[in-house]
Amino acid sequence: MEYIVETKGLSKSYGGKQVVKDVDLKVPDACVYGFMGPNGAGKSTTLKMLLGLIRSTGGQAWIDGKEMNPKNRLEILRETGSLIESPSYYGHLTGRENLEIVRTLKKTPEKEVDQVLKLVRMERQQNKKAREYSLGMKQRLGLAAALLGRPRLLILDEPTNGLDPSGIQEIRELICELPKRMGITVLVSSHLLSEMDQMADYVGIINHGQLIFQDKLDALHEHSKSKLLLRVMNRTAALKILESRQVEGKMTEEGILLPGLSDDRTADLAAALSAGGAGLYRIEERQKSLEDIFLSLTGRRGSL
Amino acid sequence: MLREWKTEWMKLRRRKVGLLLLAFLGFTFAWCSWILSDAGVEELMDGYRWIFSNLSIINTILLPTLLAMLASRLCDMEIKGNTLKLICTMEKKGRLFDMKFLTGGLYLVLYVSAELLLLFVSGSVYGFGEPMQPRHVLYFLVQNVTVSLVIYLLQMMLSFRFENQIIPLAAGLFGSFIGLFSWFFPDTSLFRWIFVWGHYSLLHFIGNNWDEATRISTFYDVEPSRAALCLVLVLLAGGYLAGRHLFVRKEI
Repeated sequence: MEYIVETKGLSKSYGGKQVVKDVDLKVPDACVYGFMGPNGAGKSTTLKMLLGLIRSTGGQAWIDGKEMNPKNRLEILRETGSLIESPSYYGHLTGRENLEIVRTLKKTPEKEVDQVLKLVRMERQQNKKAREYSLGMKQRLGLAAALLGRPRLLILDEPTNGLDPSGIQEIRELICELPKRMGITVLVSSHLLSEMDQMADYVGIINHGQLIFQDKLDALHEHSKSKLLLRVMNRTAALKILESRQVEGKMTEEGILLPGLSDDRTADLAAALSAGGAGLYRIEERQKSLEDIFLSLTGRRGSL
Repeated sequence: MLREWKTEWMKLRRRKVGLLLLAFLGFTFAWCSWILSDAGVEELMDGYRWIFSNLSIINTILLPTLLAMLASRLCDMEIKGNTLKLICTMEKKGRLFDMKFLTGGLYLVLYVSAELLLLFVSGSVYGFGEPMQPRHVLYFLVQNVTVSLVIYLLQMMLSFRFENQIIPLAAGLFGSFIGLFSWFFPDTSLFRWIFVWGHYSLLHFIGNNWDEATRISTFYDVEPSRAALCLVLVLLAGGYLAGRHLFVRKEI
Protein backbone atom coordinates (compact mmCIF):
# COMPACT_ATOMS: atom_id res chain seq x y z
CA MET A 1 0.00 0.00 0.00
CA GLU A 2 1.12 3.56 -0.76
CA TYR A 3 1.64 5.65 2.33
CA ILE A 4 1.79 9.41 2.13
CA VAL A 5 3.19 9.60 5.64
CA GLU A 6 5.37 6.93 7.12
CA THR A 7 7.51 7.03 10.20
CA LYS A 8 9.86 4.48 11.64
CA GLY A 9 10.85 4.56 15.28
CA LEU A 10 9.99 8.25 15.59
CA SER A 11 10.92 9.35 19.09
CA LYS A 12 11.26 12.47 21.12
CA SER A 13 12.55 12.96 24.62
CA TYR A 14 12.92 16.01 26.80
CA GLY A 15 15.60 15.82 29.46
CA GLY A 16 15.60 12.06 29.56
CA LYS A 17 11.81 11.76 29.59
CA GLN A 18 10.49 10.11 26.45
CA VAL A 19 7.29 11.75 25.27
CA VAL A 20 7.11 9.90 21.94
CA LYS A 21 8.47 6.37 21.73
CA ASP A 22 9.22 4.53 18.50
CA VAL A 23 6.12 5.60 16.64
CA ASP A 24 5.61 3.83 13.31
CA LEU A 25 2.87 5.77 11.56
CA LYS A 26 1.47 4.57 8.27
CA VAL A 27 -0.95 7.00 6.69
CA PRO A 28 -2.48 5.79 3.41
CA ASP A 29 -3.04 8.18 0.53
CA ALA A 30 -6.31 10.09 0.04
CA CYS A 31 -8.02 9.22 3.27
CA VAL A 32 -8.83 10.79 6.61
CA TYR A 33 -6.45 9.40 9.19
CA GLY A 34 -7.55 10.03 12.74
CA PHE A 35 -4.71 10.34 15.19
CA MET A 36 -6.23 9.77 18.60
CA GLY A 37 -5.05 9.77 22.12
CA PRO A 38 -5.79 11.33 25.47
CA ASN A 39 -4.47 14.80 26.27
CA GLY A 40 -0.70 14.73 26.68
CA ALA A 41 -0.33 11.41 24.85
CA GLY A 42 2.14 12.83 22.32
CA LYS A 43 -0.13 13.68 19.37
CA SER A 44 0.99 17.29 18.90
CA THR A 45 4.64 16.41 19.44
CA THR A 46 4.43 13.73 16.74
CA LEU A 47 2.72 16.08 14.30
CA LYS A 48 5.22 18.86 15.03
CA MET A 49 8.05 16.43 14.34
CA LEU A 50 6.46 15.60 11.00
CA LEU A 51 6.47 19.29 10.17
CA GLY A 52 10.03 19.75 11.40
CA LEU A 53 8.93 22.28 14.00
CA ILE A 54 10.65 20.23 16.66
CA ARG A 55 13.59 17.91 16.22
CA SER A 56 13.08 14.20 16.73
CA THR A 57 15.56 12.43 18.97
CA GLY A 58 15.27 9.22 16.98
CA GLY A 59 13.70 7.60 13.97
CA GLN A 60 12.86 8.69 10.45
CA ALA A 61 9.89 10.17 8.67
CA TRP A 62 8.88 9.98 5.04
CA ILE A 63 6.33 12.24 3.43
CA ASP A 64 5.18 11.28 -0.02
CA GLY A 65 8.02 8.80 -0.23
CA LYS A 66 10.73 11.34 0.52
CA GLU A 67 12.72 11.09 3.70
CA MET A 68 12.53 14.31 5.65
CA ASN A 69 15.73 16.03 6.69
CA PRO A 70 16.52 19.64 7.59
CA LYS A 71 17.68 20.34 4.04
CA ASN A 72 14.63 19.17 2.11
CA ARG A 73 12.05 19.93 4.80
CA LEU A 74 10.62 23.07 3.21
CA GLU A 75 10.56 21.54 -0.25
CA ILE A 76 8.56 18.57 1.04
CA LEU A 77 6.29 20.76 3.12
CA ARG A 78 5.39 22.82 0.06
CA GLU A 79 2.93 20.02 -0.69
CA THR A 80 1.64 20.06 2.86
CA GLY A 81 -0.78 22.28 4.73
CA SER A 82 -0.94 22.40 8.49
CA LEU A 83 -2.93 23.74 11.38
CA ILE A 84 -1.28 23.00 14.70
CA GLU A 85 -3.09 23.58 17.98
CA SER A 86 -4.47 27.12 18.16
CA PRO A 87 -4.91 29.01 14.89
CA SER A 88 -2.06 31.14 13.56
CA TYR A 89 -2.87 34.62 12.32
CA TYR A 90 -1.70 38.23 12.25
CA GLY A 91 -4.41 39.97 14.23
CA HIS A 92 -3.77 43.42 12.77
CA LEU A 93 -4.28 42.14 9.22
CA THR A 94 -7.50 41.13 7.53
CA GLY A 95 -8.28 37.51 6.77
CA ARG A 96 -7.43 38.09 3.13
CA GLU A 97 -4.15 39.82 3.95
CA ASN A 98 -3.22 36.89 6.16
CA LEU A 99 -3.85 34.52 3.29
CA GLU A 100 -1.88 36.75 0.92
CA ILE A 101 1.19 36.32 3.13
CA VAL A 102 0.85 32.54 3.04
CA ARG A 103 0.19 32.66 -0.70
CA THR A 104 3.34 34.71 -1.31
CA LEU A 105 5.46 32.33 0.74
CA LYS A 106 3.95 29.29 -0.97
CA LYS A 107 4.28 30.88 -4.42
CA THR A 108 0.72 30.06 -5.41
CA PRO A 109 -1.49 31.94 -7.90
CA GLU A 110 -3.55 34.86 -6.60
CA LYS A 111 -6.88 33.29 -7.54
CA GLU A 112 -6.32 30.51 -5.01
CA VAL A 113 -7.04 32.94 -2.19
CA ASP A 114 -10.59 33.35 -3.47
CA GLN A 115 -10.95 29.61 -3.93
CA VAL A 116 -9.94 28.72 -0.38
CA LEU A 117 -12.04 31.57 1.03
CA LYS A 118 -15.01 30.08 -0.77
CA LEU A 119 -14.15 26.59 0.39
CA VAL A 120 -14.17 27.58 4.06
CA ARG A 121 -17.13 29.92 3.49
CA MET A 122 -15.37 33.10 4.53
CA GLU A 123 -15.86 35.31 1.50
CA ARG A 124 -17.96 37.81 3.39
CA GLN A 125 -15.60 38.14 6.34
CA GLN A 126 -12.36 38.29 4.36
CA ASN A 127 -11.86 42.03 4.87
CA LYS A 128 -12.36 41.99 8.61
CA LYS A 129 -9.29 42.11 10.86
CA ALA A 130 -8.38 38.62 12.06
CA ARG A 131 -8.30 39.65 15.73
CA GLU A 132 -12.01 40.48 15.44
CA TYR A 133 -12.87 36.96 14.30
CA SER A 134 -14.53 34.43 16.54
CA LEU A 135 -12.51 31.33 17.39
CA GLY A 136 -14.42 29.36 14.77
CA MET A 137 -13.60 31.95 12.11
CA LYS A 138 -9.94 31.97 13.12
CA GLN A 139 -9.93 28.20 12.84
CA ARG A 140 -11.47 28.43 9.37
CA LEU A 141 -8.89 31.04 8.40
CA GLY A 142 -6.19 28.64 9.57
CA LEU A 143 -7.76 25.91 7.50
CA ALA A 144 -7.91 28.20 4.47
CA ALA A 145 -4.22 29.00 4.90
CA ALA A 146 -3.44 25.30 5.15
CA LEU A 147 -5.37 24.62 1.94
CA LEU A 148 -3.46 27.20 -0.09
CA GLY A 149 -1.18 25.66 -2.67
CA ARG A 150 -3.44 22.64 -3.13
CA PRO A 151 -1.52 20.44 -0.70
CA ARG A 152 -1.53 16.67 -1.04
CA LEU A 153 -1.41 16.31 2.71
CA LEU A 154 -3.17 18.28 5.40
CA ILE A 155 -1.98 17.96 8.99
CA LEU A 156 -4.58 19.21 11.45
CA ASP A 157 -4.04 19.16 15.17
CA GLU A 158 -7.29 19.25 17.12
CA PRO A 159 -8.99 21.52 14.56
CA THR A 160 -12.31 21.54 16.38
CA ASN A 161 -10.94 22.55 19.76
CA GLY A 162 -12.99 25.31 21.31
CA LEU A 163 -15.59 25.38 18.55
CA ASP A 164 -19.32 25.36 19.16
CA PRO A 165 -21.33 22.36 17.89
CA SER A 166 -22.20 23.99 14.56
CA GLY A 167 -18.56 24.99 14.03
CA ILE A 168 -17.48 21.43 14.79
CA GLN A 169 -20.00 20.11 12.31
CA GLU A 170 -18.80 22.51 9.59
CA ILE A 171 -15.13 21.67 10.05
CA ARG A 172 -15.96 17.97 10.17
CA GLU A 173 -17.91 18.12 6.92
CA LEU A 174 -15.11 20.02 5.27
CA ILE A 175 -12.50 17.49 6.39
CA CYS A 176 -14.60 14.60 5.12
CA GLU A 177 -15.03 16.29 1.75
CA LEU A 178 -11.33 16.93 1.12
CA PRO A 179 -10.16 13.40 0.20
CA LYS A 180 -13.13 12.86 -2.10
CA ARG A 181 -13.24 16.28 -3.75
CA MET A 182 -9.57 17.16 -3.93
CA GLY A 183 -7.70 13.93 -3.27
CA ILE A 184 -6.14 15.42 -0.16
CA THR A 185 -5.00 13.13 2.64
CA VAL A 186 -6.01 14.52 6.01
CA LEU A 187 -4.05 13.55 9.09
CA VAL A 188 -6.18 14.88 11.89
CA SER A 189 -5.63 14.54 15.60
CA SER A 190 -8.24 14.61 18.29
CA HIS A 191 -8.90 13.31 21.75
CA LEU A 192 -12.59 12.98 20.92
CA LEU A 193 -13.43 9.49 19.81
CA SER A 194 -16.91 10.33 18.62
CA GLU A 195 -15.41 12.90 16.27
CA MET A 196 -13.05 10.36 14.75
CA ASP A 197 -15.86 7.86 14.42
CA GLN A 198 -17.63 10.30 12.11
CA MET A 199 -14.61 11.40 10.08
CA ALA A 200 -11.80 8.90 9.90
CA ASP A 201 -11.19 6.03 7.51
CA TYR A 202 -8.07 4.96 9.38
CA VAL A 203 -7.11 5.50 12.97
CA GLY A 204 -3.97 5.50 15.04
CA ILE A 205 -4.15 5.56 18.81
CA ILE A 206 -1.27 6.93 20.82
CA ASN A 207 -0.95 6.67 24.57
CA HIS A 208 1.98 7.65 26.77
CA GLY A 209 3.93 8.36 23.59
CA GLN A 210 3.43 4.88 22.12
CA LEU A 211 1.30 3.96 19.14
CA ILE A 212 -0.91 1.23 20.53
CA PHE A 213 -3.28 0.74 17.64
CA GLN A 214 -3.23 1.54 13.94
CA ASP A 215 -5.62 0.21 11.36
CA LYS A 216 -8.88 0.92 9.54
CA LEU A 217 -11.66 2.34 11.66
CA ASP A 218 -13.63 -0.83 10.90
CA ALA A 219 -10.86 -2.87 12.48
CA LEU A 220 -11.19 -0.80 15.61
CA HIS A 221 -14.89 -1.52 15.60
CA GLU A 222 -14.10 -5.20 15.39
CA HIS A 223 -12.67 -4.90 18.87
CA SER A 224 -16.19 -4.24 19.92
CA LYS A 225 -17.24 -7.87 19.37
CA SER A 226 -20.48 -8.40 21.16
CA LYS A 227 -20.76 -10.29 24.43
CA LEU A 228 -23.67 -12.15 25.93
CA LEU A 229 -25.13 -11.43 29.31
CA LEU A 230 -26.99 -14.28 30.94
CA ARG A 231 -29.56 -13.51 33.56
CA VAL A 232 -30.29 -16.61 35.63
CA MET A 233 -32.02 -17.48 38.90
CA ASN A 234 -29.27 -19.92 40.00
CA ARG A 235 -25.82 -18.61 39.18
CA THR A 236 -23.92 -21.56 40.70
CA ALA A 237 -25.79 -24.06 38.59
CA ALA A 238 -25.36 -21.90 35.52
CA LEU A 239 -21.60 -21.64 36.04
CA LYS A 240 -21.31 -25.44 36.36
CA ILE A 241 -23.16 -25.93 33.08
CA LEU A 242 -20.98 -23.36 31.38
CA GLU A 243 -17.84 -25.06 32.69
CA SER A 244 -19.01 -28.44 31.44
CA ARG A 245 -19.50 -26.91 28.00
CA GLN A 246 -16.14 -25.14 28.10
CA VAL A 247 -17.62 -21.64 27.92
CA GLU A 248 -15.83 -19.06 29.99
CA GLY A 249 -18.31 -17.07 32.04
CA LYS A 250 -17.53 -14.01 34.09
CA MET A 251 -19.70 -13.12 37.03
CA THR A 252 -20.83 -9.48 37.06
CA GLU A 253 -23.37 -7.58 39.11
CA GLU A 254 -25.88 -7.83 36.31
CA GLY A 255 -25.37 -11.49 35.50
CA ILE A 256 -22.90 -13.79 33.80
CA LEU A 257 -20.93 -12.31 30.93
CA LEU A 258 -19.96 -14.64 28.10
CA PRO A 259 -17.87 -14.06 25.00
CA GLY A 260 -19.77 -13.70 21.74
CA LEU A 261 -21.07 -17.10 20.56
CA SER A 262 -22.52 -18.31 17.31
CA ASP A 263 -26.31 -18.60 17.08
CA ASP A 264 -26.16 -22.44 17.21
CA ARG A 265 -24.04 -22.50 20.32
CA THR A 266 -26.20 -19.85 21.95
CA ALA A 267 -29.34 -21.93 21.28
CA ASP A 268 -27.63 -25.07 22.57
CA LEU A 269 -26.42 -23.31 25.71
CA ALA A 270 -29.84 -21.78 26.39
CA ALA A 271 -31.43 -25.22 26.17
CA ALA A 272 -28.82 -26.72 28.51
CA LEU A 273 -29.24 -23.92 31.05
CA SER A 274 -33.01 -24.29 31.06
CA ALA A 275 -32.82 -28.05 31.38
CA GLY A 276 -30.10 -27.92 34.04
CA GLY A 277 -32.15 -25.82 36.48
CA ALA A 278 -30.20 -22.60 36.13
CA GLY A 279 -33.42 -20.65 35.82
CA LEU A 280 -32.49 -18.76 32.67
CA TYR A 281 -34.85 -15.87 32.20
CA ARG A 282 -33.01 -13.54 29.83
CA ILE A 283 -30.09 -13.43 27.33
CA GLU A 284 -28.86 -9.97 26.32
CA GLU A 285 -26.37 -9.06 23.64
CA ARG A 286 -23.86 -6.48 24.88
CA GLN A 287 -22.01 -4.37 22.31
CA LYS A 288 -18.74 -2.73 23.44
CA SER A 289 -18.88 0.93 22.57
CA LEU A 290 -16.00 2.62 20.81
CA GLU A 291 -15.52 4.61 23.96
CA ASP A 292 -15.02 1.36 25.89
CA ILE A 293 -12.47 0.15 23.35
CA PHE A 294 -10.59 3.41 23.52
CA LEU A 295 -10.50 3.22 27.29
CA SER A 296 -9.43 -0.38 27.27
CA LEU A 297 -6.69 0.42 24.75
CA THR A 298 -5.36 3.47 26.51
CA GLY A 299 -6.12 2.49 30.08
CA ARG A 300 -5.14 -1.16 30.01
CA ARG A 301 -2.76 -1.75 27.23
CA GLY A 302 -2.11 -5.30 28.40
CA SER A 303 -5.63 -6.30 27.59
CA LEU A 304 -5.00 -5.93 23.85
CA MET B 1 14.83 35.71 -0.32
CA LEU B 2 12.83 38.44 -2.08
CA ARG B 3 9.59 36.63 -1.25
CA GLU B 4 10.42 36.55 2.44
CA TRP B 5 11.49 40.19 2.32
CA LYS B 6 8.20 41.08 0.64
CA THR B 7 6.14 39.23 3.22
CA GLU B 8 7.90 41.08 6.06
CA TRP B 9 6.61 44.34 4.62
CA MET B 10 3.17 42.84 4.09
CA LYS B 11 3.11 41.91 7.76
CA LEU B 12 4.00 45.46 8.75
CA ARG B 13 0.84 46.91 7.28
CA ARG B 14 -1.04 48.89 9.98
CA ARG B 15 1.78 48.41 12.49
CA LYS B 16 2.46 52.20 12.32
CA VAL B 17 6.21 51.74 12.49
CA GLY B 18 6.72 54.87 10.37
CA LEU B 19 4.64 56.86 12.82
CA LEU B 20 6.74 55.58 15.70
CA LEU B 21 9.91 56.72 13.99
CA LEU B 22 8.39 60.08 13.10
CA ALA B 23 7.33 60.63 16.71
CA PHE B 24 10.87 60.02 17.96
CA LEU B 25 12.31 62.12 15.15
CA GLY B 26 9.92 64.96 15.97
CA PHE B 27 10.88 64.78 19.65
CA THR B 28 14.59 64.83 18.77
CA PHE B 29 14.04 67.78 16.41
CA ALA B 30 12.11 69.68 19.10
CA TRP B 31 14.88 68.99 21.61
CA CYS B 32 17.57 70.23 19.20
CA SER B 33 15.47 73.29 18.29
CA TRP B 34 15.16 74.13 21.97
CA ILE B 35 18.95 73.90 22.33
CA LEU B 36 19.44 76.08 19.28
CA SER B 37 16.93 78.67 20.48
CA ASP B 38 19.42 79.58 23.24
CA ALA B 39 22.42 79.64 20.93
CA GLY B 40 24.79 82.58 20.80
CA VAL B 41 26.75 83.69 17.72
CA GLU B 42 29.89 81.82 18.79
CA GLU B 43 27.99 78.59 19.24
CA LEU B 44 26.25 78.95 15.90
CA MET B 45 29.62 79.46 14.23
CA ASP B 46 30.56 75.92 15.29
CA GLY B 47 26.93 74.72 15.09
CA TYR B 48 27.50 71.27 13.58
CA ARG B 49 30.03 70.20 16.22
CA TRP B 50 27.74 71.61 18.89
CA ILE B 51 24.64 69.80 17.65
CA PHE B 52 26.49 66.56 16.83
CA SER B 53 27.73 66.55 20.40
CA ASN B 54 24.24 67.08 21.77
CA LEU B 55 22.59 64.72 19.29
CA SER B 56 24.89 61.89 20.37
CA ILE B 57 23.63 62.30 23.93
CA ILE B 58 19.98 62.64 22.85
CA ASN B 59 20.29 59.45 20.78
CA THR B 60 21.89 57.63 23.70
CA ILE B 61 18.76 58.42 25.68
CA LEU B 62 16.12 57.93 23.01
CA LEU B 63 17.45 55.19 20.73
CA PRO B 64 17.38 52.30 23.25
CA THR B 65 13.70 52.99 23.93
CA LEU B 66 12.95 53.45 20.23
CA LEU B 67 14.76 50.21 19.40
CA ALA B 68 12.83 48.32 22.07
CA MET B 69 9.56 49.57 20.60
CA LEU B 70 10.70 48.89 17.04
CA ALA B 71 11.76 45.32 17.83
CA SER B 72 8.51 44.77 19.66
CA ARG B 73 6.46 46.06 16.71
CA LEU B 74 8.32 43.76 14.33
CA CYS B 75 8.57 40.60 16.41
CA ASP B 76 5.68 40.38 18.85
CA MET B 77 3.12 39.78 16.08
CA GLU B 78 4.72 36.39 15.49
CA ILE B 79 4.40 35.49 19.16
CA LYS B 80 0.93 36.92 19.76
CA GLY B 81 -0.57 35.29 16.69
CA ASN B 82 1.21 31.93 17.12
CA THR B 83 2.42 32.37 13.58
CA LEU B 84 5.85 30.79 13.93
CA LYS B 85 4.42 27.28 13.62
CA LEU B 86 2.75 28.32 10.38
CA ILE B 87 5.50 30.51 8.90
CA CYS B 88 8.27 28.05 9.76
CA THR B 89 6.67 25.38 7.58
CA MET B 90 7.19 27.72 4.61
CA GLU B 91 10.25 29.75 5.51
CA LYS B 92 13.54 28.79 7.15
CA LYS B 93 13.72 29.99 10.73
CA GLY B 94 17.14 31.50 10.15
CA ARG B 95 15.79 33.40 7.16
CA LEU B 96 12.93 34.77 9.23
CA PHE B 97 15.44 35.99 11.82
CA ASP B 98 17.51 37.62 9.07
CA MET B 99 14.46 39.36 7.64
CA LYS B 100 13.49 40.79 11.02
CA PHE B 101 17.06 41.98 11.54
CA LEU B 102 17.27 43.50 8.07
CA THR B 103 13.90 45.22 8.35
CA GLY B 104 14.78 46.73 11.72
CA GLY B 105 18.23 47.64 10.45
CA LEU B 106 16.74 49.43 7.46
CA TYR B 107 14.39 51.41 9.68
CA LEU B 108 17.32 52.34 11.88
CA VAL B 109 19.47 53.54 8.98
CA LEU B 110 16.53 55.56 7.67
CA TYR B 111 16.04 57.10 11.10
CA VAL B 112 19.69 58.10 11.54
CA SER B 113 19.79 59.40 7.94
CA ALA B 114 16.67 61.47 8.61
CA GLU B 115 18.41 62.94 11.66
CA LEU B 116 21.36 63.90 9.51
CA LEU B 117 19.07 65.43 6.91
CA LEU B 118 17.25 67.45 9.56
CA LEU B 119 20.57 68.55 10.98
CA PHE B 120 21.70 69.71 7.55
CA VAL B 121 18.45 71.64 7.00
CA SER B 122 18.69 73.18 10.48
CA GLY B 123 22.30 74.17 9.77
CA SER B 124 21.18 76.02 6.64
CA VAL B 125 18.26 77.69 8.41
CA TYR B 126 20.27 78.81 11.46
CA GLY B 127 23.32 79.65 9.37
CA PHE B 128 25.97 77.48 11.01
CA GLY B 129 29.40 78.95 10.36
CA GLU B 130 31.27 75.91 9.16
CA PRO B 131 29.93 73.34 6.66
CA MET B 132 29.03 69.83 7.76
CA GLN B 133 32.18 67.70 7.61
CA PRO B 134 31.90 64.28 5.89
CA ARG B 135 33.95 62.57 8.61
CA HIS B 136 31.49 63.84 11.22
CA VAL B 137 28.70 62.28 9.17
CA LEU B 138 30.64 59.02 8.92
CA TYR B 139 31.46 58.93 12.64
CA PHE B 140 27.88 59.77 13.52
CA LEU B 141 26.60 56.92 11.36
CA VAL B 142 29.15 54.49 12.77
CA GLN B 143 28.40 55.54 16.33
CA ASN B 144 24.63 55.33 16.04
CA VAL B 145 24.14 52.50 13.57
CA THR B 146 26.60 49.93 14.93
CA VAL B 147 25.74 50.33 18.63
CA SER B 148 22.02 50.51 17.82
CA LEU B 149 22.19 47.29 15.79
CA VAL B 150 23.69 45.45 18.75
CA ILE B 151 20.93 46.82 20.98
CA TYR B 152 18.31 45.96 18.36
CA LEU B 153 19.54 42.35 18.25
CA LEU B 154 19.21 42.15 22.02
CA GLN B 155 15.71 43.63 21.88
CA MET B 156 14.73 41.25 19.08
CA MET B 157 15.70 38.27 21.18
CA LEU B 158 13.77 39.61 24.15
CA SER B 159 10.70 40.34 22.03
CA PHE B 160 10.78 36.82 20.62
CA ARG B 161 11.36 35.34 24.06
CA PHE B 162 8.60 37.06 26.01
CA GLU B 163 4.95 37.15 25.12
CA ASN B 164 4.51 40.07 27.50
CA GLN B 165 6.25 42.92 25.73
CA ILE B 166 6.58 44.95 28.93
CA ILE B 167 9.82 43.07 29.67
CA PRO B 168 11.64 44.07 26.46
CA LEU B 169 10.29 47.62 26.77
CA ALA B 170 11.55 47.81 30.35
CA ALA B 171 14.94 46.64 29.08
CA GLY B 172 14.87 49.49 26.56
CA LEU B 173 14.13 52.07 29.26
CA PHE B 174 16.84 50.58 31.47
CA GLY B 175 19.23 50.94 28.52
CA SER B 176 18.30 54.59 28.10
CA PHE B 177 19.23 55.30 31.72
CA ILE B 178 22.45 53.33 31.52
CA GLY B 179 23.35 55.15 28.31
CA LEU B 180 22.72 58.53 29.86
CA PHE B 181 24.79 57.70 32.96
CA SER B 182 27.65 56.47 30.82
CA TRP B 183 28.26 60.03 29.60
CA PHE B 184 29.22 61.01 33.16
CA PHE B 185 32.08 58.53 33.22
CA PRO B 186 35.49 58.83 31.52
CA ASP B 187 36.45 56.61 28.58
CA THR B 188 38.58 54.46 30.84
CA SER B 189 35.68 53.69 33.14
CA LEU B 190 34.49 50.09 33.10
CA PHE B 191 30.91 51.36 33.24
CA ARG B 192 31.16 52.60 29.65
CA TRP B 193 32.64 49.32 28.45
CA ILE B 194 30.53 46.67 30.12
CA PHE B 195 27.11 47.98 29.13
CA VAL B 196 26.29 47.97 25.44
CA TRP B 197 24.20 51.13 25.93
CA GLY B 198 27.36 52.87 27.15
CA HIS B 199 29.09 52.26 23.84
CA TYR B 200 27.46 55.34 22.27
CA SER B 201 29.54 57.45 24.64
CA LEU B 202 32.64 55.36 23.95
CA LEU B 203 32.34 56.16 20.24
CA HIS B 204 31.94 59.92 20.73
CA PHE B 205 33.79 62.02 18.20
CA ILE B 206 33.32 65.58 19.53
CA GLY B 207 34.88 66.81 22.77
CA ASN B 208 34.17 70.09 24.56
CA ASN B 209 35.78 72.54 26.97
CA TRP B 210 33.64 74.52 29.31
CA ASP B 211 35.06 77.92 30.24
CA GLU B 212 33.55 78.82 33.57
CA ALA B 213 34.59 82.47 33.35
CA THR B 214 33.06 83.18 29.96
CA ARG B 215 30.44 80.41 30.31
CA ILE B 216 31.22 79.35 26.77
CA SER B 217 31.77 75.81 25.50
CA THR B 218 34.22 75.19 22.74
CA PHE B 219 34.02 72.01 20.73
CA TYR B 220 36.84 70.04 19.15
CA ASP B 221 37.25 66.82 17.17
CA VAL B 222 38.09 63.59 18.93
CA GLU B 223 39.17 60.42 17.18
CA PRO B 224 36.63 57.73 18.19
CA SER B 225 38.14 54.85 20.16
CA ARG B 226 39.21 52.11 17.76
CA ALA B 227 39.22 49.57 20.55
CA ALA B 228 35.60 50.51 21.30
CA LEU B 229 34.67 50.20 17.64
CA CYS B 230 36.30 46.77 17.49
CA LEU B 231 34.37 45.73 20.59
CA VAL B 232 31.08 46.93 19.09
CA LEU B 233 31.76 45.12 15.79
CA VAL B 234 32.65 41.91 17.63
CA LEU B 235 29.48 42.23 19.70
CA LEU B 236 27.47 42.84 16.55
CA ALA B 237 28.85 39.78 14.76
CA GLY B 238 28.71 37.61 17.88
CA GLY B 239 25.25 38.87 18.83
CA TYR B 240 23.92 38.14 15.36
CA LEU B 241 25.37 34.62 15.25
CA ALA B 242 24.32 33.79 18.81
CA GLY B 243 20.85 35.30 18.41
CA ARG B 244 20.26 33.49 15.14
CA HIS B 245 21.53 30.22 16.54
CA LEU B 246 19.28 30.47 19.59
CA PHE B 247 16.28 31.41 17.47
CA VAL B 248 16.83 28.53 15.04
CA ARG B 249 17.42 26.05 17.86
CA LYS B 250 14.34 27.04 19.81
CA GLU B 251 11.56 24.54 19.26
CA ILE B 252 8.11 25.83 18.47
